[in-house]
Amino acid sequence: MVDPFDLAAGWLHETFVIPVLYAFGLMRWEELAQGWVLFVVYGAVQVVLTLAICLPLERWRPVEQWPDKHAVGVDIFYTVLSRVGVLPLVTFVLFYQVQVALNGWITDHGWIPPTLEGLIPPLIGHSLLTFAMYAVILDCADYWRHLVSHRIGWWWALHSVHHAQRQMTFWSDDRNHFLDDMIAFIWFGLIALAIGVPPLQFPLLVLVLRFVESLSHANARVSFGVVGERLLVSPRFHRAHHGVLAHGRRSCNYGAVLPWWDMLFGTADFSDEYVPTGDPTAEEALATGSWFAQQRSGLRRLWLTVVSGGKEA
Amino acid sequence: MAVRFRVLVLVATCFVLGLGVPKAPAAGLAFVVNSSSASISVIDMSERKELRRVPALREPHHLMLTPDGKSLLVGDTTGNQILFLDPATGDVQRRVPVSDPYQLGFSPDGKFLVVNGLARNQVDVYDTVEMALIKRFPVESTPSHLAFSPDSHTVFVSLQGSDKLAAFDLTSMTPLWTEPVGPTPAGVLWLHDKVLVADMGADYVAVVDPESGKVTDHIVTGKGAHNLFLSPDKKILWVNNRVAGTTSALDAETLKMMRTYNIPGGPDDIDFAPDGDLWITRRFAEKVAILHPDTGDFETIDVGRSPHGVWLNPAATSP
Repeated sequence: MVDPFDLAAGWLHETFVIPVLYAFGLMRWEELAQGWVLFVVYGAVQVVLTLAICLPLERWRPVEQWPDKHAVGVDIFYTVLSRVGVLPLVTFVLFYQVQVALNGWITDHGWIPPTLEGLIPPLIGHSLLTFAMYAVILDCADYWRHLVSHRIGWWWALHSVHHAQRQMTFWSDDRNHFLDDMIAFIWFGLIALAIGVPPLQFPLLVLVLRFVESLSHANARVSFGVVGERLLVSPRFHRAHHGVLAHGRRSCNYGAVLPWWDMLFGTADFSDEYVPTGDPTAEEALATGSWFAQQRSGLRRLWLTVVSGGKEA
Repeated sequence: MAVRFRVLVLVATCFVLGLGVPKAPAAGLAFVVNSSSASISVIDMSERKELRRVPALREPHHLMLTPDGKSLLVGDTTGNQILFLDPATGDVQRRVPVSDPYQLGFSPDGKFLVVNGLARNQVDVYDTVEMALIKRFPVESTPSHLAFSPDSHTVFVSLQGSDKLAAFDLTSMTPLWTEPVGPTPAGVLWLHDKVLVADMGADYVAVVDPESGKVTDHIVTGKGAHNLFLSPDKKILWVNNRVAGTTSALDAETLKMMRTYNIPGGPDDIDFAPDGDLWITRRFAEKVAILHPDTGDFETIDVGRSPHGVWLNPAATSP
């Protein structure tokens, strides 16, 4: 069975990208561009899919209604920038280069680069199962990164850009300070390198996990029921994490996709409430400023935290 | 049995209609490397049907038969291993750790296996008996394709990211020269005491003097000339043009253009079937094309994502 997204990417590549690369003498990047276009397509499809599912949910059972939705507009900008532009480029190009260099070096020294398939050989050829296993491991790693970002003062100063939003919607998942994003990417990338995530799967894994994360930020009164809430992070579960009384180190429900880690490590809150969101300690620019104002304000908060020896957080 | 019956009916129908006896498709197995699906498609050539996919680990690209014909080697670049397949069945014989194996080639005397590490900027020479690394040549940028001189003394490697061709002496294991040959050089072929290099950033094949590395001529084929192959009878030089989406046939003696075929979808590697058809991988279309050169028509078979290397084994029997 052919992959329609791959075929669409191939058509885009052949029709638009290659002629441009050829015209500007950039054909040496042709192979890399082919991979990048594929993840741009996946990114665009993911945004459309998120819209198709989350928008009706938010209209059907909204938790809150706002007359002025300016702050949501900034979050839309974050999402498009991240998922269709920067994310595919960084996750594919950078991760690919680093993994090639590292694993080649490991092989040269007579060792076998670590992979799940190396650990469990029957997994070879079962790409869907392997993909799911990589996703679970990465989600567990992300739980710990997220929890620590709430406990360390300077890191929380950056992460508070994400939490300052009082009009939380499914667009809010990508509302992050670029330094916070960079740390998350390095952490995610290091774990992916350590467990041998295939470079062609890495951007796809990021996009699949991000899809669930978008859903969990939706301004929707949606719970997955007693059992479902314990299988997948729901809008209700994640809203508790964003609650005004749960900012900084006082928060709960750090899991991004699976609530298992919160259940396992005692940070889960399954109470049946839909709390208001935001960070009351953040300056107004973090909540309602432009993209640039939010980034600048995040940097200022970082600086104040560093010079105050962490007291700001 | 069903195939034989269909062929008989076809032959009888054509005979009755006075069309003459049609050409029967060549039998055997085709192996197509799906780079982005991490697999190798095994295809029944006469049935035009994919039989199964052999899993690789990460990102396989090219393949090459061992000189003794006992193994088909598939280089898995980011998997950092070479798969040894049974060329008669596609069964995996073994997996050997090798750093970044992109393009593979055995010297004509069978002594050396040269492995281009495209992403790691290295050209490795292995002893074919022990599969032991003898020599590593660090190169400027992205060693892509390779070709040997018939005496096995020299290997020529295109450096796709640097617009240059490099030559290495396999007797003394020393670099000979590195010379500019045109933008984004890819496919390399030894022909009539010259080295031909397909320049993907241009619309031509550069003719290079193997002694000096200097370009002596340019043969225009089509935008994005990517890879080139000599027909089994050595009469036709086939060139795939990536940007133009065409395959060019040139007279191998005169290098004059004979005919151009439209093969959209990123034509890349070619292998030749005994019935005269060309099997061409189409990188962006998840397909392998079977070109009938007489008519210019082509059939397609669905394969995996980003099909790259292709190798035909007419001697293999379909299970």
